[in-house]
Amino acid sequence: MRRVAVVATGQTEHARSRDDLSQPELVRQAAGRALSDAGLEPDAVDAVVISNMELFEGRALPELWVGEGAFASGKPCLKVATGGTSGTSACIAGFHQVASGLFDVVLVVGFEKHSEGHTQTGMALTDPFWDRAVASGALGNFALSISQYMAERGVTEEHAARVAVKARRNAARNPHAHLRMPDITVEEVLASRILAHPVRMLDMCPQSDGACAIVVAGEDRAAGLCERPAWVKAAVTRHEQPYIGDIDRRLASMRTLREAARRAYELADIREPLGDFDVAEIYEPVSYSELAWYEALGFCEDGEAGRLIEAGRTEMEGDLPVNPSGGVLSTNPVGASGVIRVAEAALQVMGRGGERQVPGVETALATGYGVYAWADVVVLGSA
Amino acid sequence: MIREGGMSIPFRFAAGEAGSAFLAALRDDRRILGARCRGCGRVVVPARAFCGRCGGADLAFEDVGPEGTLIAWTQRPGHGVFGLIRLDGGDGALLHRLLSPLPALVAGVRLRPRFAAERRGDIRDIEGFEVVNGSDA
Amino acid sequence: MSEHLTVPIEMALTWRYASGSAMERFAAGLRERRIAALRCDGCGRRYLPPRPLCGNCRLPLAEWVPVADEGALEAWTVMHLPILDGRTGEPREAPYGMGLIRLDGADTTVNHYLDERDPERLAIGMRVRAVWRGDLRGAMDDILHFEVLR
Repeated sequence: MRRVAVVATGQTEHARSRDDLSQPELVRQAAGRALSDAGLEPDAVDAVVISNMELFEGRALPELWVGEGAFASGKPCLKVATGGTSGTSACIAGFHQVASGLFDVVLVVGFEKHSEGHTQTGMALTDPFWDRAVASGALGNFALSISQYMAERGVTEEHAARVAVKARRNAARNPHAHLRMPDITVEEVLASRILAHPVRMLDMCPQSDGACAIVVAGEDRAAGLCERPAWVKAAVTRHEQPYIGDIDRRLASMRTLREAARRAYELADIREPLGDFDVAEIYEPVSYSELAWYEALGFCEDGEAGRLIEAGRTEMEGDLPVNPSGGVLSTNPVGASGVIRVAEAALQVMGRGGERQVPGVETALATGYGVYAWADVVVLGSA
Repeated sequence: MIREGGMSIPFRFAAGEAGSAFLAALRDDRRILGARCRGCGRVVVPARAFCGRCGGADLAFEDVGPEGTLIAWTQRPGHGVFGLIRLDGGDGALLHRLLSPLPALVAGVRLRPRFAAERRGDIRDIEGFEVVNGSDA
Repeated sequence: MSEHLTVPIEMALTWRYASGSAMERFAAGLRERRIAALRCDGCGRRYLPPRPLCGNCRLPLAEWVPVADEGALEAWTVMHLPILDGRTGEPREAPYGMGLIRLDGADTTVNHYLDERDPERLAIGMRVRAVWRGDLRGAMDDILHFEVLR
């Protein structure tokens, strides 16, 4: 199988609502920017992968309606809808298409326009015989898992608040981010409205409108399209059982992410994540989850996540900057969020991170999270 | 065991740059807007922000129709009669209702739009298309 | 100009879902205040709700075992977002407690309401017992909530 690289990215300015653009126009903006970034004409794209949770917009076959905006007319076009992992899984589908040798250049575009639908209602369309009778919803499910995680691993509300602060302050240096709060403080987070104990408003991700695209190319094309391609060293996906009650102590155990990371690290020769990665873009829907991911991804031992954030080791000046883009906590158009993780990690390897660039990035990590505990782990490298 | 149920979800779709121009033209002026691609010359109806054929994003709005030619039609029992209409000056076809009696509907026949008296920026601001020069019934 | 128009559309969804025989049997049990799980021959895990296979072993599930309507609280939260009670059509007044409950005899947990709403009076490990409604229809909201046993 041949090597593949991310050679270009493009994204929109993400916001609570983008009433100025229709869904195809939004997709077109991100896709067009990615092609410009690569210096490619539309005809050069061999296949397109679209990432979108169509139920949220109530528009069946989004790939039909927006595909044209993604230069897909007359091309093979595939849609991926896997909850929060839609974007990362769509990128991985693109990687597979190019790695197979069947396609040379693939465009991946993720988007969501939460403002057009009713996400909560859409998310209530769960198993009709079980979850629809009684359900906590996405927020409540996180709060439940968080109660277990806190009890077991000793993280506090202050630790979580530090994650929330880091995210929104980092986002202030990202012109595409939705929530940008350069002056946010831990006190503000702890004083924000409580949603589901212990999760507060500022602990939670927003719902955003936005789109993000990447161009994936095979090894014979990549160098010609990008000075510093972000080579895909590993891309691993793991899904889980169907009900929240099936998963034992979800955030603490997170077996899907742990196993995907273990396998990805093996493929990419990562021995010591905190040292071997120069930057990480991880998918954190709620502040507490970032702490759980530190442990699941091996940045620290179980029980040490609180100490890691306290010591500032995941800040921009720290050992391993986590989410220089601001993460999902700052920007969350669900279908795009996973593509944003891969795009932001790729930008870092390419040296195109602008004000949010971490110096000297050779190896980057991108992860996706979705549904109850689905996980994607992608490792990108400069060589 | 069968479980029945129902749910209602409200949506509000942004028409976007091109869609807003198209719908506003229907509502305010009873004009039908297409968009001409400066790259390949194709005129898409309704107007869109980019060309699906050549990928270009340099399009200019221009009026099409209001008259056009019937390409094909079908009848949905209980729902009405629908046709594909090539509007004068446009490429491709617009799908809309046909208001004339069936015997008048022959491929190639000339059609004109009938606009609703009250319009609100919706494709149904056009009630449908009827055969020009009356019916043959 | 540049007026940005939006098009409102209300989508009315209706459905009729076939449960399959295992869920039908589970639901029939609920109408008699009986809860049951399906036990995997491979790993011994006792699952509710019923489903065709054990996801870990990939073996078909066929053995029914009884499950108590009381157990231990494995996770909890207090929700501050209003919610409509699907059974009564009335809002469930916020704040209200919710938990993941491991019923005695099962290995998966059940997500349900708690009668306690004070975070200071909730803890992992507390014993809880189902409070059933009078009107039993064969669904998990036949249980109104779980009461904390003190």
